Amino acid sequence: MLRIEDLTVAYGDIVALHGVSLEVAAGETVALIGANGAGKTTLLQTVSGLNKLRSGRMEFGGASLAPLSSADRVRAGIAQAPEGRRIFPGLSVEENLVVATSSWRRLGKSYADDLAQVFDLFPRLKERRRQLGWSLSGGEQQMLAIGRALMSRPKLLLLDEPSLGLAPRLAEEVYDRVGRIRETGLTILVVEQNTVLALAVANRGYVLETGRVVLAGSADELRRSERVREAYLGR
Amino acid sequence: MALRVLALAAYLAIGLALSVSVSEYTLRLLNLATISAVAVIGLNFAFGYAGLISLGHAAFMGLGAYILAILTTQAGWSPWLATLPAILGTGLAAVVIGVPLLRLKGHYLALATLGLNVSFGIVAANWIELTGGTNGIAKIPGLSLFGHAIEGERPFLWLSLAVVAVLAVLASFIQRSRYGRAMMAVRDDETAASMTGINVTATKVSAFALSAIYAAIAGCLFATHVHFISPDDFNFAHSITFLSMLIVGGEGTIAGAIIGAALLTFLPEWLRVLGESYLAFFGLMMLAILIFMPTGIVGLLSRFRRSAKREAPPAPASSGEGART
Repeated sequence: MLRIEDLTVAYGDIVALHGVSLEVAAGETVALIGANGAGKTTLLQTVSGLNKLRSGRMEFGGASLAPLSSADRVRAGIAQAPEGRRIFPGLSVEENLVVATSSWRRLGKSYADDLAQVFDLFPRLKERRRQLGWSLSGGEQQMLAIGRALMSRPKLLLLDEPSLGLAPRLAEEVYDRVGRIRETGLTILVVEQNTVLALAVANRGYVLETGRVVLAGSADELRRSERVREAYLGR
Repeated sequence: MALRVLALAAYLAIGLALSVSVSEYTLRLLNLATISAVAVIGLNFAFGYAGLISLGHAAFMGLGAYILAILTTQAGWSPWLATLPAILGTGLAAVVIGVPLLRLKGHYLALATLGLNVSFGIVAANWIELTGGTNGIAKIPGLSLFGHAIEGERPFLWLSLAVVAVLAVLASFIQRSRYGRAMMAVRDDETAASMTGINVTATKVSAFALSAIYAAIAGCLFATHVHFISPDDFNFAHSITFLSMLIVGGEGTIAGAIIGAALLTFLPEWLRVLGESYLAFFGLMMLAILIFMPTGIVGLLSRFRRSAKREAPPAPASSGEGART
């Protein structure tokens, strides 16, 4: 579904990604793990059209992503719950969700079912539907960011560090929901520092170190790998 | 919802009561206040919702007024008919200008729109065959309704009160539509907006055009009320006044636009004793408002409303309704 080939991205002279290749097939959940500064967020931002690529190719559903703007990529089916959540502070919870339907909404198409599904997944958002975005807790903001991404009816869901800054119990709760989203058959690419959580939900994974893919394999293989155990699992 | 209906009813009641009780002079001020209110409700789309700082709002008001004035005095159109090209032409101009201009942000956009306003004044003052130059255009015909001319301050006030009411209700619908929400999303976080599938450029341009259309309606009201326009009526000082009205009343709120327009129309009259030092007072007042009540009068009111019902579940945020009536 998503194919990235030999991707190089740089901020000025600083090269953030060196010839990264990876692939996400329809229906699978792929984790991209690595330490702070490895280039994980850069990769997701580039898929969403926020960074220019220096070289390489990105294809989604067989077509090149290059000519599409950020908004067009959402329309094509790529939605992201970005790093730092970036929910709209001046909009209510419900407005934050509804505003994300603009990619597919036409006159007469209703978002009621979409909203009900998100509220079913995250009941806490339903309780707070009238509250403004800025007043939510970190965990609620993360749920809202994921819910907002789902409202655009994506084919591929990109999650950027959903556990960041959350208490362990909350991070587990968020990942429990990611698991439920996975069961609906949605394709997911999740970027995460918390290797245990990410590999628990993923089928496959890639390990990114200073802008290069250094390891790839099934979630089980990665969990057993010496390199991952030492560097990321602390055993 | 109930609050909005209540606010509308209160607005109409106060407006009607004033229209039959105050002096001719106060009526004239009320007319200027309602005309400003139309412009400021429009500015609220650009500044309050989409976060686009515009110091060129008076130019769009002027463009609308000039189109109407030229069509009625030189081409003999009826004023009602002339409002149509005045409004549509101004909206179109805002789209054409907005596409390149709205690539700018923050201070740069403020300066560029200021330049736009100054340029408008220069063109209006120098294209003498069309605009009459600094002498302006006189003898602009007034509006009439069902064969009755809307002449005099009181009948005109009834008309302008109704126009403000209709445009305020319309603005409130737009605000709560997906277009309004998209504008606010762009204001809050442009990158996140594009990542949720919102076309940021189109959203900004439409907010800008919508604000220009409201300004053009204000310009049409102004021209048919005063019957005379000149470039000075639309110089950039008026743009700054519109922005001040919105900030004093409460940016992002329609009620705030109306309250701010009324207050800043009457304040110079109430404080006439201050003479020249009014400007110093005005500057200090703006400073105090920006520091102590950044959400304006409406923000202050909704804060009182919240603390009045403290027993209700603690909602740290504005409930949304009070802040955006």
